[in-house]
Amino acid sequence: MDPNERKPRLRPMWSEPSLLLSPFAVIHENLQHRELIRRLIQRDLDSRFRGPVLGYAWTIIEPLLLALVYSFVFGIIVGRSDPTYPAVVMIGVIGWSLFAKCLTGTTKTLSTNASLFQFTKIPKSVFAASNVATNLVLSFISLFALVPLVWYYGIDIGPNVALTPLFLVALALCGSSFGLALAPFAVRIPDLVNVIQFVARVGFFLSPVMWTYPMLSSKFGDGIYLTLAHLNPVIVPITMMRDIVLGTSSGIPTYGWVMFASVTIFAFVIGTMVFRKLAHKMVVGL
Amino acid sequence: MVPSRIGPINVDFFDTEVVGIIGRNGSGKSTLLRLAGGVYPPDSGKISIAGTVSMLAGVGVGFNKNLTGLENTYLYASLMGWPKKTVDKHLDDIIAFSELGHHFHRPIRTYSSGMKARLGISVATAFQPDILLVDEVLGVGDASFRKKSEQRVRDMIKGSGTVIIVSHSQGFMMEICDRIVLMEQGEIVDVGDPKKMYLRYNELLNLQAD
Repeated sequence: MDPNERKPRLRPMWSEPSLLLSPFAVIHENLQHRELIRRLIQRDLDSRFRGPVLGYAWTIIEPLLLALVYSFVFGIIVGRSDPTYPAVVMIGVIGWSLFAKCLTGTTKTLSTNASLFQFTKIPKSVFAASNVATNLVLSFISLFALVPLVWYYGIDIGPNVALTPLFLVALALCGSSFGLALAPFAVRIPDLVNVIQFVARVGFFLSPVMWTYPMLSSKFGDGIYLTLAHLNPVIVPITMMRDIVLGTSSGIPTYGWVMFASVTIFAFVIGTMVFRKLAHKMVVGL
Repeated sequence: MVPSRIGPINVDFFDTEVVGIIGRNGSGKSTLLRLAGGVYPPDSGKISIAGTVSMLAGVGVGFNKNLTGLENTYLYASLMGWPKKTVDKHLDDIIAFSELGHHFHRPIRTYSSGMKARLGISVATAFQPDILLVDEVLGVGDASFRKKSEQRVRDMIKGSGTVIIVSHSQGFMMEICDRIVLMEQGEIVDVGDPKKMYLRYNELLNLQAD
């Protein structure tokens, strides 16, 4: 046998790829660890649903009850009589809570897994990704809470409904991208987590959960405020999901799509760059 | 416990040798080990390795109480970077060594702390890397299991190309180490013959006691 065969070569342990390539590096390391991500998702789902009797049903019951409560309260205050309003709110709740959970979960990812990071060399972004993926799975299941409502309204669902998961992915990606940029700081400044949780609570009202895109555009017309509102990256995906499921047309202008795409891509690029540059240094000796 | 900064450090570890790292608490032993294992990044300088590296430490880290022993085995292994194939190959051995029997298929929230420790040691010591890093893991379980796991670590050490070990047990270290690295305040004081290094180490300790 060739003595050189199977003899491992000396190679540097930390190679620093260009900072600009961070988005691709993060995607690459997550693809490499997809087996582990699958296990982590399974762990999170299992540990959440093995206890309660109703198990996975909770992911459907929760948005259903929330939507009923919100639309009941909102109906009393405003006196709206739109019969599809509970479904409108439900899509808003599912979309916004996915975004908020991905934002806060990713912001906290380094402290949540701090003990693990003292022993493993697995890239840190893998743990953020598995948390995001778990939330995505749960939100996707939650969407089925809409089935009885859509059936009740007698809405014909077109093939476009297959696109709704894509908008969930966009929401998750965007929320976690902001989280990635914040995570390295949050692990050393715990107050930052409180700030983000507060932002998530305020964002609930600043996002189309209880209100809709048409309400927004009729309020602001075509002015600068409507344009600025598109900086909120959840507006487009939530509105699109509503249009697809309920067969409405909110008429988001092209510039709205461009702003949504720019904010999401910008957040992902910056988030992965900051995370890759700082995350591994911040967890040392926690 | 882990110092915020160690170094500058310049040391080589070679194939087929067992190197011990000794020093007082907080001298940077574990940090050096984690740098070698690729867990911590160096602020500056370069770390190069040849072959697979794995750390025997933090037994039970990443375990989830609602998952069974079997599920936790696969989870822990993938957290440490071992592929499923490797776990499949060693699964029978892990079950046998852990002495858990049918409990292996039950959630570990039903385990006693001794059982959890046995599972942790069994999984942690199941796979053989080219470079093995050991950080004080021998003191778990009852006396008979402790003896068994100490023997298992010895076997692992025999099977590994390079072993870097941190331990406070002088007898154990003198017996197995070819060389010893003596650390103090984040820096390497000296590297060499175990007997000489322990002499210097004890001098250091006495110096501090005075």
